[in-house]
Amino acid sequence: MKVLKGVLKEELANSLGMQKNYERELAKLPQGSLVKKTIKGRNYYYLVSRIGGKVVFAYKGKVSDEEVREYKKAKEYRAKYRKLLSETKKQIKFLRSTLRGKEPV
Amino acid sequence: MAKNQYDLCIDVLRRLESAGILQYIVLVGSWCTLFYKEYFEGTGYTPLLKTRDIDFLIPEPSRIKTKVDIAELLKEPGFVVGFTGSQGYIRLEHPELIVEFLVPEKGRSTDKPYPLPQLGINAQALRFLDFLSKHTITVHIKGMSITLPHPAHFALHKLIILQRRPDQAKSSKDEDAAQRILHSLIRKGEKKFVRDVFNAMPPRQQKLVRKAIDKLNDPEVADVFA
Repeated sequence: MKVLKGVLKEELANSLGMQKNYERELAKLPQGSLVKKTIKGRNYYYLVSRIGGKVVFAYKGKVSDEEVREYKKAKEYRAKYRKLLSETKKQIKFLRSTLRGKEPV
Repeated sequence: MAKNQYDLCIDVLRRLESAGILQYIVLVGSWCTLFYKEYFEGTGYTPLLKTRDIDFLIPEPSRIKTKVDIAELLKEPGFVVGFTGSQGYIRLEHPELIVEFLVPEKGRSTDKPYPLPQLGINAQALRFLDFLSKHTITVHIKGMSITLPHPAHFALHKLIILQRRPDQAKSSKDEDAAQRILHSLIRKGEKKFVRDVFNAMPPRQQKLVRKAIDKLNDPEVADVFA
C-alpha cells in the first residue's frame, strides 16, 4: 500500500509539472489561424483569431509558403497540446481523488 | 485516439533507433522489467509496477558522434520539454510517458546536470549506474534490439540504491523489485550466476547488498548469498 501511494504521489507531482509545461508550449505558439480567401482569382491571407469573444479577421497580405507551413504546423500542435493538456488535467483530478481517500493529501 | 503507454514507448524507441541513438542506450528503471518478460519466459515472471518514467542510461556519452535534437525528435508524438530538480535536469514529458536520460557518475559527487550537447539535452549523473551497464542482455521487441542490464545486475543494483533513497516509498519499491527479480533468477536456475556477480562486487557494495538481504528476511534469497 505504501509503495502504491508513493507511486501515485510521484505521478501527481509529475502531472502538475506537465500541466505547466503544456500551458507554456501553448502560449509559445502563434495566435490565430491563417485562412486563405480567393477574391477574383487571387489569394489573400487573413489571420483569424478570437479577441474578447469576437472573431477578428486581420489582413496579412502576401504570405510566404514557409509562413503558411508554420501556421499549419502551429495549428496541429495547438490541437495536439490542448488534447494532451486535457488528458493531464484528467490525470490530476483522478490522482488527487485517489490519493485523498479519507486522509488529507 | 490517444496512444497507449506501450505503443508510445515503442514509438520513442523506434525514433531513437532511426536517429542512430538506440545502440548507445541501455534501458534501465522500472520499464526494463517489462522487457524482461522475454528473458524470463516460462518462469511465471510478471512485470513489476512501473511509473511513467522511462530511464535511458548512456554509459559512454562520448561515443555518440551523431548530432540529434532529442526534443525535436519527440515533438511530433506530443512530448514537451520539462525541467526537474533545482539544477534543471531536462526530461521529455507526455501524459503517458516521461523520458529521462542518465549517465554514470564518475569522480566527485555533484548534482549538476551532465551536458549532452550532441543530443541537445542534459542528463542526471548517478552513482552505481556503471554497474548496470557492466553486463547487459539484448531483447528483440518489434524488430528492434533493445539493451537491458542483466537482471542479476538490475536486482543487486536495486539492493544497493534502496539504502540511499531518502523516500521510504521508493525504497520499498526497490526492495520489491529486487526480491521479485531474484526469485525469477532462482527459478530460471541462475543462482550461481547471481552469486558470481555478487562475489565480483567491491567489498563495500557487497556489505550494502548483505545489509539489504538481511532486511528482506527471505530465506530463499538469502540462500543465494550464503
